[in-house]
Amino acid sequence: MDGKVKEQKRHQQKQSGPQAERKKLKKQGGSREEDARKRNPKAFAVQSAVRMAKTFHRSQDIKMKKHHIPLVDRTPLEPPPIVIVVVGPPKVGKSTLIRCLIKNFARQKLGDICGPVTIISGKKRRLTFMECSNDINTMIDLAKVADLVLMLIDASFGFEMETFEFLNICQVHGFPRIMGVLTHLDSFKDNKALRKTKKNLKHRFWTEVYQGAKLFYLSGMVYGEYQAQEVKNLGRFISVMKFRPLVWQTSHPYVLVDRMEDLTDPDRLRTDPKCDRTVSLYGYLRGTYLKNKGQVHIPGVGDFQVGDVNFLPDPCALPAAQKKRALNEKERMLYAPMAGVGGVVYDKDAVYIDLPASHVDQQQDEVRPNTELVQSLIDTHATLDEKMAASKVSLFSGSATLEPAEEGGLGEKCVWDPTTQRKRRKVVFTGEEEEEEEEDGSGSSDDEDGDSEDSDQEQDDDEENLSTYLKEARAGCDETEKTVADAPPVKRPKLDVGKGESAEVPVFADSEDDLEMSEEEEEESGEEGEAGRAGDSGHCSEEEESEDCKEESEGELEGTGEAADATMEEQTASKSMEEEEEEEGGKYTLLGRSISPRVPIASSYKFSCLSTVGLRWKEGLRQKASDAFLRQQQAVPNLRKLVYGSVVQADDSEDEEQELGGLFRVSRPQTSKKYQANAVDSSRFHPDTSHQWDQEEMLNSIRDCFVTGKWDESQDAATLLKEDEELYGDFEDLETGEVHKNPTGKQNRHEETVVKVDDDELQKNKRLEKKQRLKERFNSEYDGGDATYFDDLKEELQKQAELNRAEFDGVDDETRVQYEGFRPGMYVRLEIPSLPCEFVTNFDPHYPIILGGLSSAEGNVGYLQMRLKKHRWYNRILKTRDPLILSLGWRRFQTIPLYHIEDHNGRHRLLKYTPQHMHCGASIWGETRSHKMDCALIQANFRIAATGVILDLDKSVTVVKKLKLIGYPYKIFKNTSFIKGMFNTVLEVAKFEGASVRTVSGVRGMIKKALSTPEGAFRASFEDRLLMSDVVFLRSWFPVSVPQLYNPVTSLLLPVGQKDSWAGMRTLGQLKHDLGIRYMPNVDSLYKPVVRTKRQFNRLHIPKELQKALPFKSKPKLQQPKGKTPRDLQRPSVIREPHEKKVAALLHALSTVHNFKRKKAHQVQHAKHKQFLQQKGKQEEAKLKRQKESRKKLYRVMGQEDKRKQRSSLKGASKDD
Amino acid sequence: RLESYRNNNMASQGLEYDGCNFFRQRLVLSSLSGKRVRIRNIRSKDDSPGVRDFEASFIRLLDKVTNGSRIEINQTGTVLFYQPGLLNGGSVEHDCNTQRSVGYYLEALLMLAPFMKTPLKATLRGVTNDPIDPTVDMLKTTALPLMKKFGIDGEGFDLKVVKRGMAPGGGGEVFFSCPVRRTIKPVQLTDPGKIKRIRGVAYSVRVSPQMANRLVDSARGVLNQFIPDIYIHTDHMKGAHSGKSPGFGLTLVAETLNGSFLSAEMSSTPQGQGDPSLPEDLGRNCAMLLLEEVYRGGCVDSSNQSLALLLMTLGQQDVSKVLLGPLSPYTIEFLRHIRDFFQIMFKLDVQKPSEDERKGGEKVLMTCVGVGYSNINKTLK
Repeated sequence: MDGKVKEQKRHQQKQSGPQAERKKLKKQGGSREEDARKRNPKAFAVQSAVRMAKTFHRSQDIKMKKHHIPLVDRTPLEPPPIVIVVVGPPKVGKSTLIRCLIKNFARQKLGDICGPVTIISGKKRRLTFMECSNDINTMIDLAKVADLVLMLIDASFGFEMETFEFLNICQVHGFPRIMGVLTHLDSFKDNKALRKTKKNLKHRFWTEVYQGAKLFYLSGMVYGEYQAQEVKNLGRFISVMKFRPLVWQTSHPYVLVDRMEDLTDPDRLRTDPKCDRTVSLYGYLRGTYLKNKGQVHIPGVGDFQVGDVNFLPDPCALPAAQKKRALNEKERMLYAPMAGVGGVVYDKDAVYIDLPASHVDQQQDEVRPNTELVQSLIDTHATLDEKMAASKVSLFSGSATLEPAEEGGLGEKCVWDPTTQRKRRKVVFTGEEEEEEEEDGSGSSDDEDGDSEDSDQEQDDDEENLSTYLKEARAGCDETEKTVADAPPVKRPKLDVGKGESAEVPVFADSEDDLEMSEEEEEESGEEGEAGRAGDSGHCSEEEESEDCKEESEGELEGTGEAADATMEEQTASKSMEEEEEEEGGKYTLLGRSISPRVPIASSYKFSCLSTVGLRWKEGLRQKASDAFLRQQQAVPNLRKLVYGSVVQADDSEDEEQELGGLFRVSRPQTSKKYQANAVDSSRFHPDTSHQWDQEEMLNSIRDCFVTGKWDESQDAATLLKEDEELYGDFEDLETGEVHKNPTGKQNRHEETVVKVDDDELQKNKRLEKKQRLKERFNSEYDGGDATYFDDLKEELQKQAELNRAEFDGVDDETRVQYEGFRPGMYVRLEIPSLPCEFVTNFDPHYPIILGGLSSAEGNVGYLQMRLKKHRWYNRILKTRDPLILSLGWRRFQTIPLYHIEDHNGRHRLLKYTPQHMHCGASIWGETRSHKMDCALIQANFRIAATGVILDLDKSVTVVKKLKLIGYPYKIFKNTSFIKGMFNTVLEVAKFEGASVRTVSGVRGMIKKALSTPEGAFRASFEDRLLMSDVVFLRSWFPVSVPQLYNPVTSLLLPVGQKDSWAGMRTLGQLKHDLGIRYMPNVDSLYKPVVRTKRQFNRLHIPKELQKALPFKSKPKLQQPKGKTPRDLQRPSVIREPHEKKVAALLHALSTVHNFKRKKAHQVQHAKHKQFLQQKGKQEEAKLKRQKESRKKLYRVMGQEDKRKQRSSLKGASKDD
Repeated sequence: RLESYRNNNMASQGLEYDGCNFFRQRLVLSSLSGKRVRIRNIRSKDDSPGVRDFEASFIRLLDKVTNGSRIEINQTGTVLFYQPGLLNGGSVEHDCNTQRSVGYYLEALLMLAPFMKTPLKATLRGVTNDPIDPTVDMLKTTALPLMKKFGIDGEGFDLKVVKRGMAPGGGGEVFFSCPVRRTIKPVQLTDPGKIKRIRGVAYSVRVSPQMANRLVDSARGVLNQFIPDIYIHTDHMKGAHSGKSPGFGLTLVAETLNGSFLSAEMSSTPQGQGDPSLPEDLGRNCAMLLLEEVYRGGCVDSSNQSLALLLMTLGQQDVSKVLLGPLSPYTIEFLRHIRDFFQIMFKLDVQKPSEDERKGGEKVLMTCVGVGYSNINKTLK
């Protein structure tokens, strides 16, 4: 990027080591892999179709993930400077880095970095550096406009909270490119520790940004600056960096203001120092097209209507295209008006020359700025002339607002006092009181008139005289000389006619010839009717009638009234205007102005023609068809004026009113429109009555509109066929060598010879065309196969982008601006009429001023629904109805959210607090804008409380909270009960008839009808009989209203040094803390330790009868088991008297004897008994034996008897036989 | 002090207009741009000052499709203040005033419908065909295909004539449904192409069905000299579908190769207003109107010019081009209003027909860069 381009270090191929070996292996093994496929095809065969499908899907997924949604490339050809925001915690080296980078690129030293600093970094690239202080408001604002963020991290300390806050802000507002820069690396003594820290920081940074995000190391300081080589490397990184467009930035115009001028009337300032200020703000337009007179939001200040926008010559223009690579010293421009560097500054209406020595810090190089000044003077000499010419006009027709002497954007180093102008002036020149001469010089150089050629020679006094003279002559205002003298001579821009001028020029440009013509016509005829025709005829096909119509209808018009009145007024108005201009001695003829008022008449005239006399002209016009063409030609450029003329004129009249200082008020537009203001509102376009569609020539005029008509040469079927034959007709049969010639081709050639060689050109073109067509066909066939939807879409958008570029290419800027708006890359000046005075008085250039353009619907307020999640590092949960500061779109505002969660049936149920780790909904009242990420903030340890996204916007909300109504039965029938205490009136009950109710015990029921007494009681039927002790409740949902608080954070209006101390509405907790209110809870709601008394159960009683029936196991065991006799049951031991002892001993002895005797007797008895038993046994035995003998005998006898009986029976039988 | 800044700077300044003309344009553009509008001197010099019934009905319709809009009308009805709310959409039923036909209301709905929160399903009752406004049939055949070119397409994009009601009695019913879009595509309609066919509808209610046939015959008589591909439906509605008044009419549409539609139409004079019209005359005149429309040419027919321009304006921030015939006064005013509401100016290039060309009158190539409008009403999920 600098003069001597070093030769790049060549790539050295590794000869040894693992890398080289791997490479070698790869080289050899490349083909081997292929072999494997061939050698063993089975191993590579499809094993599983499912798996194959899966892998295919996966690879496709990965492929598709790489796609971004294609956008139309709307980047301007000459883009605005890239905004580089340098952020980091305090004392990390932000200013030093910027200073070093500026020194690297622009070879200049800058003291204090105030406001944006724009430099040229290369042939195609400009950079704007902006330092971001530690203030969260600044961080938010700059995150929205940054293209590249240089995130400075103190390596000796590690990451600080500010870094993460900024990263989180970036995440929600679209992610600009982020590059980390580690500083304070020289504080590490130990090399190992340094490496370790670097690695740790790098990985943490990567998780936050993206894997492989660039982290730059600045190893140490040399004489208070970073090492030149490292800064140079950083600069190279910056100047080759590519950016992906961010949606928010590309869809909104915005300006990072680098210069501010106060244009307020000093007289008003003196009388009312707190009056609203008119301020002009300057900067490069970024983002997208900015429309004039749109709405802008200045974060930290509020919404404003832009009074006027102009584009100015680029103060830091890119060098013209040259062949050499590097920039030369002349082209290394630096533009930082807020820091006091800018050299000569051309404004719309004035030229400012800065003498930097007086403004810039003492440490600044003394020689450089002077050369810079001179050089920039030399560079821009030509434009100066142009400016001079332009500013002459402003000299004579300047408005009443010429006077405002202005405090420049350079006074930022001092806190100035707004009360008196003198003081302010002093402040601007604080350092210069000793050097009177220089002051004079600087004063004169800020030449008001733009006659800067002689400005150097002019003396301060002269200039002042001149200006006062001008003022007196022009407006006749009673401006005293004193005020002029009081006005600071540094910068004296004034409003000129300007507004009108800029609006006027395109009119000139567009229709010069025509306008002049119509002017002439007008002069000779002296009627508006003529002008009317001129204005009208371009517009539609009525022009045929208009001419004739005019002559006839004039009388009618004038006679009939309104329209005529209007035109008369018009005329007088325009006349008076012209007179005015003559008085003013305006140099230009104001063609546009004198013409434009008549345009609406033109249209009005036409309409009246249509309505009143159109029919009469039916027959007379037919023959004039031939004339029509001629007139059409005349009319062409006027169409634009016809459509937009009245609007331009409206602007004019405003301007002129301004110019005239409110003396004349002309109400032309209204009068001219009156005739049609209340007409029938219909979109029908009534046909031109002049066209007679039964005439053959009329019919012929549209023959070619039908497919049956004649076709274009290029589209005609016959010619197309012929061409196809040409393409495919000629061929040569290779086998036979026969050459078939196309007969038509022959014919052609024959004709060619006839028509001679002139047609060579034609033929050449034809051939080219043919070639083109062939190529297209080939392309479509070749690419057509695998063109995806994505490719098609991309191509379509590409075409659109080309069209966008081509459409207005080559049109001059003034006109272009009207169609497109101001395009990004332009250096614009925006005038804002009513800014609060604090903006100017408390101006601090260290805080960025951003003008964010708002699209049409973004200014309205309404309810927003968002999905929100508490930030994981915010160590509390958020309470519903506690105010939060939201950053949404350009705005920062305080509002009161209600948190809610969506139930399964889509109901939004109110939450008292946000969930810990879950998304929840939030409803807020705020400005309605398109869906966009946003972040909510609150002041705390980690200052970002939550992040969210806007889902929906509406004019009403649907958040509900649960409400249980409780009632008590006072009369119970079978399933019906009378319930009281739930409602207060019959009406309330009526509203809830049919609602379902429930008791605590779960009995469901339904409200039937209200009862007359007591008030609010009702009859309800239940599915079961209630008890009197039951409590009946009704579950209902109560809609909650979102508090309508919208409180923009006006941090920029706070006094210098207190800009981060903005305090809005306090949260409930803060309020209680501040007011010393203790929380007084309901005693019933308090949690107390749960104490449970032991329950006593009665003994189980089993009826006696039952006890009897029970098995022993289940019987109650009433007897106590025998154990030790308890102490209470123990009897005391008896101590006997001696006599008793004796008695007892005797008794004991006696009983012993007795016992012995008895025992002995018992033994004897026992023995006897034994003997007895033995004897008895023996006897028994004998008895049994005897019995057995006798039984034996008996049985033998019985057996013999039987035998005998049997024998006898047998005998008897035989006897019978 | 700062408090006052907060309040007055929040909402954008409103616009002021005089007179009741272009009433719909102003309210529609106001709804789309979010700018407040005040219309003064509505028929203030008239014998019966103030807004008419049909305008009141239009305001009511607007109120139905929006949420949170504020409409104030003064005592005499000569001043109207409108602060737009959000375009809500959804199912809407509206009894349109019979002073104007449903087309009057439908034209505005066509402009608003793509930018609603939920898809619009509107049932409009009233006069479907009258001579003042574009009829429903015409909007169906021209406006819908036009909107399709801007990417407003898909399921539920439909316009149905359920019942036909002629002026002055009315009694017709129209169902219109339209999907919502977040953004509108830029278009390049620079070549209308040649007309390939002519279609049409000849309708008759509460008169002899023969009327329709007579219309068709006479119209064909004129058009047949240009193109043979002409097919005109006859649509005779009976009983409950025939509305309250008798009448007949013809709508003709010429379709070009590039898919642009030019149409013309004519309805019989309403019962009891002026001379009764003959079907033969009406058919022939209507055919001539179509020829006139063809003469004007362009990619968009004259009654839909403003719709096309609006959709161009509300497109992405890209260049859109449309070739139009001569601009109608309504369109010219619409362009001015677009400039007021959206700060968009169109580049107007007049294309003159060359001498030997027989393609009708001169055309205007309208070029603009869209505002980059995105439908913020649409819910994001």
